[in-house]
Amino acid sequence: MAKTKSAMRRKETMYGYIFVMPWIIGFLAFTAGPLLFSLFASFTNYNITSQMDFVGTENYQGLFTEDGLFWTSLWNTLYYVLFSVPLTTIGAIFLSALLNQDVPGIRVFRTLYYLPAVLSGVGVYLLWMQLLDPGTGMINLVLGWFGIDGPNWLFDPAWTKPSLIFMKLWSVGGAMLLYLASMQGVSKTLYEAAEIDGANTFRKFFHITLPMITPVIFFDVVTSLIGGFQIFQEAYVMSSNGEGGPANSLLFYNLYMWRQAFENFNMGYAMAMSWILFIIVFILTMINLKLAPRWVHYEGGDNR
Amino acid sequence: MKKMYTLPAAFLASSLLLTGCAGFQTGNSNDSATENEDGKVVLDFWTFWGSEIRRPVIEKIITDFNESQDEIEVQHTYLPWGDIWTKELAAIAAGDPPDVVINDINTTALRGEQNQAMNLAEFLSEDDISGQFYPELWDATLYEGDSYGIPFNTDTRVLFYNKDAFEEAGLDPEQPPATWDELEEYAAKLDVKNGDDYERIGFYPLWGINYDVWMLNANGHNFINGDNEVLIDTETNLETLEWLKGWKDKYGDDVINSYKAQIDSQQGNPFFNGSLGMYVSAPTFYTQIRDYADDLNFGVAKLPEMEPGNGHTSWGGGFVAEIPAGASNPEASYEFIKYLTGAEAQEYWAVQNFDNVANIEAAENAAESDEFTEDGTMVYSMATEYMRDTLLTPVPVSAPDFMGSVNPKIDEVFLGSKTPKQALEEAQADVESLVEKNTRE
Repeated sequence: MAKTKSAMRRKETMYGYIFVMPWIIGFLAFTAGPLLFSLFASFTNYNITSQMDFVGTENYQGLFTEDGLFWTSLWNTLYYVLFSVPLTTIGAIFLSALLNQDVPGIRVFRTLYYLPAVLSGVGVYLLWMQLLDPGTGMINLVLGWFGIDGPNWLFDPAWTKPSLIFMKLWSVGGAMLLYLASMQGVSKTLYEAAEIDGANTFRKFFHITLPMITPVIFFDVVTSLIGGFQIFQEAYVMSSNGEGGPANSLLFYNLYMWRQAFENFNMGYAMAMSWILFIIVFILTMINLKLAPRWVHYEGGDNR
Repeated sequence: MKKMYTLPAAFLASSLLLTGCAGFQTGNSNDSATENEDGKVVLDFWTFWGSEIRRPVIEKIITDFNESQDEIEVQHTYLPWGDIWTKELAAIAAGDPPDVVINDINTTALRGEQNQAMNLAEFLSEDDISGQFYPELWDATLYEGDSYGIPFNTDTRVLFYNKDAFEEAGLDPEQPPATWDELEEYAAKLDVKNGDDYERIGFYPLWGINYDVWMLNANGHNFINGDNEVLIDTETNLETLEWLKGWKDKYGDDVINSYKAQIDSQQGNPFFNGSLGMYVSAPTFYTQIRDYADDLNFGVAKLPEMEPGNGHTSWGGGFVAEIPAGASNPEASYEFIKYLTGAEAQEYWAVQNFDNVANIEAAENAAESDEFTEDGTMVYSMATEYMRDTLLTPVPVSAPDFMGSVNPKIDEVFLGSKTPKQALEEAQADVESLVEKNTRE
């Protein structure tokens, strides 16, 4: 009896493995394999087609000690992340708080504010390049009505990164939707209790809404941090010659990595860059996870 | 119940394992797909010519080729610009590349060095076709003396000028500026100011082309020569940069930016409505004049020279047809490339697209084509003749991305945060160390 039972279990286990096989094979062939390969390649002079000699830590040493553009691109990326993540998070929360009102026509506004999140890619960047044009662009035109002499946006190194951050704010619709959903999930009874205690709108927002949506804030911050470090397309399309200009002000980490990989064919070097980026993002995400219990509130659950 | 599952599950698992393994196999040169049912060799030809104008032209050339013989059948694959070469690289790495691909001429030698393109020396030694093409184009395809791609098309940069505006400003419309001094003098005469605003700008050298074309024009050679010598911080380049900065200071950021936006919008190019007197662009700019400003009375000229006798050197680019490394039927591929770059196909391409072609005979025939308008013939024949003074800037194998180090420094000159001298010195040092680093191993 016991014997047949364990035989059956083994069979079941086997079926289990067979059924997850497609995923396991996919993972090994398309994720783990390339991952390990790129780690190995980062210690070689791999150029895709003809060479792959082991060079030890030469790529890494070269990056840290000889390559000024590595530091430039890292700094540009950090700058972008440092400003874009908090600003888009605050922007999305602010917007969703506004759109969480019960007023006539609110659905129209929700749709309108979400719309930019649906549009994406090169078309949007080209549109923004026109809007940001210092001579004929809409933005400086509007600033001009208020007597403000608008900056040169994408042509002035001091303004290029702020331009992209500003542009990023336009597409907070996706995060906004998440916040809106979580705000709607906040129990009405909490607000009612607060009202009885005489809390005004601001108190209700800061003492009920905000703490209750912290899990979503946490999720949003982690994902936009990772996304922020991967910024590429914007700079590739909007910087001069796609090189990260003017004056390297839009040379982001991934853009520089791309140039090393596909223009110089220094694939090994580029892979070393990608592993450094991985480590940076990994550490930052870990810090986030460690800090999370101090401020993220899970309703009805154990915090740790 | 048990039996019902075992078989399909085992089948599923084994087939998945097999497909998983297939991913690791390199391309099979006896791939059955390279032959069709008539026993013809099938070639996969990749281009980025998918526009309404270009696609029918290239497909007609392919059809003509397919009908001309009975051993090879070429199939056209259109891949969008920006995707085509990363895809090609991936295909080469996977061992299953296309048979012929159109690629950038200035990086041909680099792909030769990197083993991405096939060395064509073997075919050329039997059948030397190098003499059919402009030498400057041919030389750009060479790495260590061997060619890695056959030139297909090219271009140059010419000065378009508004004849009516010349007349208005008291200039001879048949005498375009020949030197930089004249260019400045004419531009000043063509400028029309209304208060603080410009109604017409005579000329601004950095619309349409970049600073490096002016340096090429002044130098008559590239930034890095064949011996890996870096020639950026030179007296001539300094003079050129100061000259260019002078123009920038003359018109000022606001004017330049607002004009630049109009130029970028194509239809709104101020040259079309007469508010820009002279403009440097590729000869194909004529097709825009034809489409958006049919009545414009314009002329074309060579780029002015720095000083008399210095030479009217201009800059061009272009594309080659090459066989990716590891392609399965190189003989057939070469056969097709020969047709593609031969006089007949090239002339057809040139006339239909108003495009400069690499084949000299085809270019000269096209210049006399009666399919062009009078203006078209004027521009085309001038461009053809100008190919002799046109240089290419093949990327140096020792530092393919070196312009990425130079451009930011020059940007700073125009932004006012570096003097021309500083910028050139720094760029020189950066590129020298780049070359040194890449040639060390």
